[in-house]
Amino acid sequence: MDPIVKISHLDKYFGRLHVLKDINLEIEQKEVCCLIGRSGSGKSTLLRCINFLEEPSAGTIEVDGLTVHVDVKGKERRELIHSLRLRTGMVFQEFNLFPHLTVIENVYEGPVTVNNMEKNKAIEIAKMNLERVGLLEKSNEFPNKLSGGQKQRVAIARALAMEPKVMLFDEPTSALDPELIGEVLSVMKKLAEEGTTMMVVTHEMGFAREVADRIFVLGEGEIVEEGPPEVLFTNPRDPRTKSLLERYHN
Amino acid sequence: MDEFKKTKEMNSEARGEQLFNAQARNLRIFKLNVTISWILLLLFLVFLFSGIDISIGDAHFKTIHLDMDFIKANIGFIASGVGVTIGISLLSIVLATILALLAALGRLSKFPPIYALSTFYVSLIRGTPLYLQIFFFFLALPQLGIILPGLYAGVLALGLNYGAYMSEIFRAGLSSVGKGQREAAIALGMTPGKMMQRIVLPQALRFALPPTGNEFIAMLKDSALVSATGFVHELMWRATKVGRAQFHNLEALIIAAVFYWIMTLAFTSLQSRLETHMSRGDR
Repeated sequence: MDPIVKISHLDKYFGRLHVLKDINLEIEQKEVCCLIGRSGSGKSTLLRCINFLEEPSAGTIEVDGLTVHVDVKGKERRELIHSLRLRTGMVFQEFNLFPHLTVIENVYEGPVTVNNMEKNKAIEIAKMNLERVGLLEKSNEFPNKLSGGQKQRVAIARALAMEPKVMLFDEPTSALDPELIGEVLSVMKKLAEEGTTMMVVTHEMGFAREVADRIFVLGEGEIVEEGPPEVLFTNPRDPRTKSLLERYHN
Repeated sequence: MDEFKKTKEMNSEARGEQLFNAQARNLRIFKLNVTISWILLLLFLVFLFSGIDISIGDAHFKTIHLDMDFIKANIGFIASGVGVTIGISLLSIVLATILALLAALGRLSKFPPIYALSTFYVSLIRGTPLYLQIFFFFLALPQLGIILPGLYAGVLALGLNYGAYMSEIFRAGLSSVGKGQREAAIALGMTPGKMMQRIVLPQALRFALPPTGNEFIAMLKDSALVSATGFVHELMWRATKVGRAQFHNLEALIIAAVFYWIMTLAFTSLQSRLETHMSRGDR
């Protein structure tokens, strides 16, 4: 089977800083992969390059058969990037819910505004996805009435409502109080069990070990090691992986 | 032991109630004192214009004498300018809001002519006096073959002027919408236009509306400048006209001042209610 995400020779510079160096990776359908690494290792930037929230400096991004080369210009480029964004759903560290819209409006905003879906149908989809994250009863609340964990679950429902091929999670629990992390991780675990393809940038080693099919370790803009969690956690080869996992083991 | 705990709890509840009541009482007393002081200041102001002369020993105090007959005879004529004043201000604030929004968006544009147009407009208008701008529209437009009724020329001048100042309010409103909001909209697949329309503008306008109310209150009084051209029969024009004709300028101006003040009080209270309403709900 063809990979659903394929990144080839991806480079990214911030000014003179070379933050991603010739990244190559492939993700299979229904695979859950975690990107781990110290802060500044480039893992968030890599994730944000996949939907062009960050413009890659060089390379090719492929999602579900759609190939976008960085050098494409003009109208074609805009259309390709738009298609790429429709194939990916993103969850942010800071939730970024729309504060002027209720919970359910947040979730059906995408289908209605972007896909021109009929509103009644979009509401049905929104309800279904709020049910999935266990927040249907909060439909008519404004985001400011929710806890951080609930906000993040709504943000997940908002991304799911667009029916993306891949879900991208950018440190989804890093802005949460420790007692609220669990509810978000269990929603993500449920999605993984339902067969959602997921790429998760995280510091939650427990989650990575339990849920991931594959873990990529990033260091100084490179993938220093990759493999299934049981191998990586028991027998890390790279010293950077070792030092990263040390904190978890202790 | 249980008995003791119960009394203790009751005590703490009663204590809380007591503190709360004391706080509420202090607030009531403060408000009452403010109201009394306002009334005293108002009475003093009325006394100042009473025309009564007081002598205490060798010291003589004079107050301002107003001709009550003139006031009674002309208050109606001057008052009929209130509607025009409010009308000018409303039309001008609508025009100013539209221009301010366009200018603020222009400032965000990456297209040089648009950016230049926006900054040029704001710079020119803020760099010249409003009084002069009002005359400009009466004097210059006819030379271009554009003859506007006095009212609309005035509205154009006031709207352009306030729009330039208010563009800063809207710029602040637009930048109050964080980068995360834009990224979330983009990640959903929204085009820049949709993102602006659905996500950024609604939040920016919510931020900008209360200060726009303030600008409107300021506009009410600046609309008096339009009277200088002599073609708009609003409050100030009427006061000046009857005052000059009957050599009672002071009386006429004081009547106008009272009406401006009443309008301002009314719109200020409306404004603070609007603000309370707007701050509910989000964030």
